[in-house]
Amino acid sequence: MKELLENDFTEEIENYDGVALVDFWAPWCGPCKMIGPIVEQLSEELGDKIKFSKLNVDDNEAIARKYKVMSIPTIMVFKGGEVADTLVGFRPKQELETILKKYV
Amino acid sequence: MEDRFDIAIIGSGPAGLSAAINAKIRNKKIIVFGSRDLSNKLLKAPKINNYLGFYDISGVELKEKFKQHIDHLGIEITYERINNVYAMGDYFALMVNDKMYEATALVLATGMESSKLLKGEEEFLGKGVGYCATCDAPLYKGKVVTIIGYNREAEEEANYVNELAGKLYYIPMYRKDMKLDQNIEIVNDIPVEVVGEDHVQSLKTKKGELTTDAIFVLKDSISPAQLVPGLAIENEHIKVDRNMSTNLKGCFAAGDCVGRPYQYIKAAGEGLIAGQSAVAYVDSQKNK
Ligand SMILES: Cc1cc2nc3c(=O)[nH]c(=O)nc-3n(C[C@H](O)[C@H](O)[C@H](O)COP(=O)(O)OP(=O)(O)OC[C@H]3O[C@@H](n4cnc5c(N)ncnc54)[C@H](O)[C@@H]3O)c2cc1C
Repeated sequence: MKELLENDFTEEIENYDGVALVDFWAPWCGPCKMIGPIVEQLSEELGDKIKFSKLNVDDNEAIARKYKVMSIPTIMVFKGGEVADTLVGFRPKQELETILKKYV
Repeated sequence: MEDRFDIAIIGSGPAGLSAAINAKIRNKKIIVFGSRDLSNKLLKAPKINNYLGFYDISGVELKEKFKQHIDHLGIEITYERINNVYAMGDYFALMVNDKMYEATALVLATGMESSKLLKGEEEFLGKGVGYCATCDAPLYKGKVVTIIGYNREAEEEANYVNELAGKLYYIPMYRKDMKLDQNIEIVNDIPVEVVGEDHVQSLKTKKGELTTDAIFVLKDSISPAQLVPGLAIENEHIKVDRNMSTNLKGCFAAGDCVGRPYQYIKAAGEGLIAGQSAVAYVDSQKNK
């Protein structure tokens, strides 16, 4: 899974035609630590169809502000560069899988 | 970390204890979280006449009977509050602040919280409304934050958030002297409604309105949906089927938290089903 930075966000996500997932996280956030491995697992299962990436909101405040990330973890699904789904808070693997399968 | 438990039971009221004895009888490795008094609602009941076999008994006496029963089976209660439960797929991670317990199956028997949600609270959850101020505080650096505190622990969170926020309002929902940093503004008023468009903009109160970027509601017990993210709720209660299964694989629920009527023997009966369903689930996982 790719760790995004502010200056590759446009290139990697906003200008990307397909489906991309961004996991907004921070090192001090407990639920982020729990959902991290689940997202990681899903990237192994669905990685050829969805581009998986994560963004540390502490180091990339401008992006977090632009997308109004107010609580983490937040997972955003982008389709053709536009936000298609926003999931705030921890989600069980089952649920995340069901949501992502709509996009493959 | 300790080894993984077969079944973790959250709640030590009649529902949780009935689940516990039924799981223990079937030799499962269990852990029960709850309180020293088992249940505050037991302590409060003056006379109980509808618990089969115990006519004209007080809540305190019934509590003693329950206590003798679990002691006899060697069931101990862990006096800790679970803050969060994460459904990881094939196990559950139960968090007590920074400490974590793991269990294959879960029984929720948390009772019902009587205090109501604010108008707009649910709608703006994750969009400015939160339940863990320390978790999200860094996102509100320099901004206006309001904390609605239901207990003294909320004061500690307020003091921490105050170091980061631009301005902090504290609305105490209890009467006690508070230990708050000097520059926190105490608002003695009653919150009514969360207002905003795509994000929180203000908090309406009985006497006025506070402009704020975030509102944290800090209560004693959290609703089941916040306790277990992803859990399906229907009309304020946890949604279950006849086996007391929730929408999450391996997670069962019993007692007041799954619906009315709110009664001891109904809670105990459901606890029995939930306990047995959890046992069956654990067995099926082991034989996989
Ligand atoms: C004054 C009064 C009188 C009543 N009289 C009667 C009566 O005569 N007959 C009758 O049938 N019913 C009566 N009831 C109703 C009865 O008390 C409830 O239906 C019953 O207690 C429900 O049991 P429960 O196990 O579902 O939940 P509870 O008894 O509410 O137990 C829930 C337990 O979960 C614990 N808990 C919650 N969240 C967490 C967490 N995150 N971590 C750890 N522990 C947690 C709590 O501390 C508590 O110990 C009365 C209630 C009251 C208030």
